[in-house]
Amino acid sequence: MEEKNSRRDFLKKGLSTTAFAMLATSQANAFSMKNPGRDAKNPKYIGQVGKHFVMVLDLRKCIGCQACTSVCKVENEVPDDQFRTFVTETEIGEFPDVRKAFLPQLCNHCENPACVPVCPTGATFKREDGIVVVDNTVCWGCGYCINACPYDKRYFNKRTKTADKCNFCAQRVDKGLLPGCVETCIGGARVFGDINDKNSDVYKLLSNFSTTVLKEAEGTKPQVFYINLDSKVEELFSTTQSLDDIVKAEEGFQREWMKTREEAQSNG
Amino acid sequence: MDSVNTIISTITIAKPWGIDIPNYFWFTGSSAAAFIISSFAHVFGWEKYKPIAGVSLLMAFVLLVAAPLNLIDDLRQPGRVLNFFMYGWENFPTSPMKWGVLLLMAYPILIFFEAQALYRPYFVKQAKKGGLLSKLFTFGNMDVSKEALEKDHKKGYILGAIGIPLALAVHGYTGYIMGAVHANVMYHTPLMPIIFLASAMVSGTGLLIILIPLFQRFLSSRKKVDRDMVATLARLLSWFIVSDLVMRFLWLTFSLTFGNGEKYALYSYFTLHFADTFWIDYVLCLFIPLVIGFTKLRNIPVVVYFGGIVTAVGVWIFRWNTVIGGETIPRTTPGYLNYTPPAFGQDSIVSVLSNWGILFALVCAVLLIFPWDEEMEDCYEGVENAK
Ligand code: SF4
Ligand code: SF4
Repeated sequence: MEEKNSRRDFLKKGLSTTAFAMLATSQANAFSMKNPGRDAKNPKYIGQVGKHFVMVLDLRKCIGCQACTSVCKVENEVPDDQFRTFVTETEIGEFPDVRKAFLPQLCNHCENPACVPVCPTGATFKREDGIVVVDNTVCWGCGYCINACPYDKRYFNKRTKTADKCNFCAQRVDKGLLPGCVETCIGGARVFGDINDKNSDVYKLLSNFSTTVLKEAEGTKPQVFYINLDSKVEELFSTTQSLDDIVKAEEGFQREWMKTREEAQSNG
Repeated sequence: MDSVNTIISTITIAKPWGIDIPNYFWFTGSSAAAFIISSFAHVFGWEKYKPIAGVSLLMAFVLLVAAPLNLIDDLRQPGRVLNFFMYGWENFPTSPMKWGVLLLMAYPILIFFEAQALYRPYFVKQAKKGGLLSKLFTFGNMDVSKEALEKDHKKGYILGAIGIPLALAVHGYTGYIMGAVHANVMYHTPLMPIIFLASAMVSGTGLLIILIPLFQRFLSSRKKVDRDMVATLARLLSWFIVSDLVMRFLWLTFSLTFGNGEKYALYSYFTLHFADTFWIDYVLCLFIPLVIGFTKLRNIPVVVYFGGIVTAVGVWIFRWNTVIGGETIPRTTPGYLNYTPPAFGQDSIVSVLSNWGILFALVCAVLLIFPWDEEMEDCYEGVENAK
């Protein structure tokens, strides 16, 4: 009897401790329509109220040097073989009527993003200044947003194992700096700023030049605008013809997809 | 126009969903189908399906218990499952994945209670003999009077009636997940939930055609297969195949001929995969079973089993072609992507096989716990007495 009692005691204590622990954790992770960072009105999550950040890419000035590609990897600690931004290099025509064309690509920080409304954890959202971000402490890695983005501008970060993408270098912008790629752009092709500010370069460029966005038909209203975008370059997006790309060339066509997957696992 | 361009370099971004996802869709779909078939008897009162209604219900249950494990395995951060329940509720109207939480929780509970109501009298019988587990499953109600049985029956009917839309939703929502992705030419059609449901009915019936005779022959006290039932299921399968084909016909004819610019991508996909889609998915896995069910061939069990197997496999292939195939279609880089599932690790061939292993274990468990054999026997006796 003695023993039974102590066992019951133990069970009782165990149960109450577990219940308490559960209550405590649920307090810490209180149920939320959004996510804890946004609920706490953390400035990193809210952004710069009243501003609306956009980027203009002046393709006349891009020389395809990939300085932006490299600086982004350093600034944002993007793992090997993964990219938040890159410049597609193409050749149009055949000798002697030939020219190079470059297409710098990054998340378009869409006004009507396809990636945000499908997120089941609220990890990805649009800040009040228009920057679309991912909270990598909340994301559970379902990949829905990655499939939803028409621009393929999201990927699973091998290190954090969460969805990742360009955040316009919000960490820099919030300190009054420019995004890394804009700062480093040799030709001055990347221009960044607040469209609500009539003195900003982006406002002036958008007012004085005709600009285009990628895949307008998707209805996502991209906030990255291109000057001098050639429809022949954009056509590459939908061609099913297999042209070479870096990973394909180095790793072989068969392995490119699997490779990223395996690396993600071996990093874990 | 392609010829004027040459890509010198670009980056291909990996796609997120692997082999687990088609497998998940197949499981939820087959579960929904098994539930609907069990409702033929429990809700619509079709006596013909009565003997297999109980087992079908149990199969619907185990398929749905095993299914979500695929989802967890596909997550890159499976430890954060709680976040899914806690956060992001403002996206509820626009994220079909979110709907899954409620459906995946409500549906198996409902099936469990329906099965409990159906088998309660048998549990009572066993509990009286001293079965502890059976006693538990009677929920303390040992009453087997006519009124009590009538009450069970009514409870089963109500749960079954609520369960039909729930079963349709539990699979239909997966079609929604896909259809909502307007960035993907293969996924993006409002028909997707219906196409998924139609093919689910096919795979679920195919699966029952394989399982029920196995149970009857080797595990029941009758020790013999009900050949009439096999023929009935074969015919039912054919009707489901007809509805599946109609849905797919509508989808493909619209998107391939009347679609916008993206129809070229789809057209090219189906040209590239013509042999495997047309000959395997359509001719072997749909058309041949369709012929079996609508002709005298349905009276030859072996032929019907063959039809059952190929349709179940065929729908799995269809899920794969839709989910994975859709991801391979280029949208920012030229040329198709290629996906071969890894053999081991998360989201691999072995993880899918393990999921099947879990399903097998669950099937064994419910067959051991639930007195399905006795109930089936009673139904057959009921039918024979009526004759
Ligand atoms: S480009 Fe893609 S990831 Fe970026 S906001 Fe638009 S839909 Fe989302
Ligand atoms: S991968 Fe993360 S950010 Fe993307 S939809 Fe899933 S939970 Fe949201």
